Amino acid sequence: MFPTPIARTKPWVQTLYKWLLPVALVLWLLPLIGIAVTSIRPSSDLAAGNYFGMPSGFDFVKNYSAVFENSNIGWYILNSFKVTIPTVIGAVALSCLTGFALAVYKFKSNLLVFFMFVAGNFVPFQILAIPVRDLTQGMGLYNTTTGLVLFHVAFQTGFCTLFMRNFIKGLPFALIESARVEGVNEWKIFWYIVVPLMRPAIAALSVLIFTFIWNDYFWATVMANSADVRPVTAGMSELKGQWKVAWELISAASIIAALPPVAMFFLMQKHFIAGLTLGATKG
Amino acid sequence: MAAVTLKNARKSFGDVHIIKGIDLEIKDGEFTVFVGPSGCGKSTLLRMIAGLEEFTSGSLQIGGKEMVDVESADRGVAMVFQSYALYPHMTVRDNIGFGLKMTGHDKADIAARTKTAADMLQLGPMMDRKPSQLSGGQRQRVAIGRSIVRNPKVFLFDEPLSNLDAALRVQMRIEIGKLHSDLKTTMIYVTHDQVEAMTMADKIVVLHGGIIEQVGSPLELYHRPNNLFVAGFIGSPKMNFIPVTVSSVKGKAATVTLPGDHKVTVPLAGDVPAVGSKLTLGVRPEHVELGGKGAGAVKATVRAAEYLGSETMFYGTLADGSDISVKAGGLAKEKSGDTLNLVLPPAACHLFNADGKTIHNGDLTR
Repeated sequence: MFPTPIARTKPWVQTLYKWLLPVALVLWLLPLIGIAVTSIRPSSDLAAGNYFGMPSGFDFVKNYSAVFENSNIGWYILNSFKVTIPTVIGAVALSCLTGFALAVYKFKSNLLVFFMFVAGNFVPFQILAIPVRDLTQGMGLYNTTTGLVLFHVAFQTGFCTLFMRNFIKGLPFALIESARVEGVNEWKIFWYIVVPLMRPAIAALSVLIFTFIWNDYFWATVMANSADVRPVTAGMSELKGQWKVAWELISAASIIAALPPVAMFFLMQKHFIAGLTLGATKG
Repeated sequence: MAAVTLKNARKSFGDVHIIKGIDLEIKDGEFTVFVGPSGCGKSTLLRMIAGLEEFTSGSLQIGGKEMVDVESADRGVAMVFQSYALYPHMTVRDNIGFGLKMTGHDKADIAARTKTAADMLQLGPMMDRKPSQLSGGQRQRVAIGRSIVRNPKVFLFDEPLSNLDAALRVQMRIEIGKLHSDLKTTMIYVTHDQVEAMTMADKIVVLHGGIIEQVGSPLELYHRPNNLFVAGFIGSPKMNFIPVTVSSVKGKAATVTLPGDHKVTVPLAGDVPAVGSKLTLGVRPEHVELGGKGAGAVKATVRAAEYLGSETMFYGTLADGSDISVKAGGLAKEKSGDTLNLVLPPAACHLFNADGKTIHNGDLTR
């Protein structure tokens, strides 16, 4: 069996494993633990330079309520949802269609189109910041949720198409052919056969894109500067304070901002059922 | 119910010619089997009839109507795939009724047709299960059920049994045969397994390299193969081919010399070969007899023996090193290294010329 189960290895390996595993785990989680601990620190700790030591008090309620009192974080979270949800729906729906077309139909420039979708992912998006900003201003989309959504969808579709096309390519093609012989039209094949089988892919991609967009800071600052459309990542800067940086509040806000993607993952987790296609063909 | 006619059907993928001009007539209600080694184009030809591959040129008629440019769905064909192609997210009932539902049949009609198909295939108890909960044979039956409900004019089977184990294959073979006799619909069946072809077909089409080698009933192909390829392909175990030279011709009989200077006089029905010409003598392992006496016997050394109880297979080597296999009775005792004294009955000997064409069939039915 590979890898060899730990219980069957030599005693010194087992001991080493038992010690190293927690160490590695803590190291890995250190940034997260740091933020979590900071978020409950009294502000006096930070003023006194106690960044990494034991917190002198447990100010969970004070800090977290301060986040809501001192900033419009509720509003920013709402903004984040207003940008993220349409983007996820748009990018995933579009890539289901493009992926289906590229995976199922044979046409001359099929591979070329596919490579263009893929190649788009390799363009560092930072170099597009200024042209995109000019474009949004020219189109009257600067400082609008619609603008953010449109550009996110445009930027994410390349990656999503790659993902979906490869997933559909992996489905047994006989399913589609069999439906064709039965006289089912292409739209119905897509809707009744391919989409249900794509559920695991749609779920995985939705979580991924949700996280990408939710965590986006770059486009949020490039394409918007008004508090009306600012998502939570950009809006958090409001907590910086005028004279000193209120790290404990920023940490608390970060934790709050991270909750939706985490919740999204646990919600969608049950859809990650691999092998939904088992039994379609010989199994 | 329809006849299928192919005229000069061709299919190329770029420069690769897969189907090189097929003319074929399949009568209404006939069970036709396309058989051939892998890569011979049999599946491609079936997919062309189904409408899943376009014709490069040629004509296809189903029930007298030209079908080359007709959509797959409108050709009146139903196809059963090797992989079954069941929709994994639907129950058996939905799988069977899906095509009808999508093409706008009303619910009562779908339910009635689904029930008929399910009864015919004994799928009743598993109608609400998903394909993943079925065994291989049951999945195959669902796939067949899905094609039955459409009342097609022609059934197309693409190696439907090759994913099943040996016992199930025999059972499904019988079930498909029964289905054919119940429905009396034209069926075209692709397989590489010549036992399936022999047991099920009214008519076998032997394909090789994109052309038809021979068309005929199973026994016709067995007794009267047109060429070396068909002779070698039909029949299991394979026919023995022995290089021979014509040593003399007397009236309607030719005497040929085998390796080891043994002579066999083959009575001829047709043309007489020239003395001295090199031919191939074909004789089936089941027609070779043990117990030749003295100088008249063909000597072969046993390389390997398989004792199957009902029969014994000997794989031997002739004097010049060429192989010969012999199917003997189950009580034969010779073992590896022993010498067999073989008799090649002249009536069972086929002769093929250097081009592989038959010049004489050792047809035992005559």
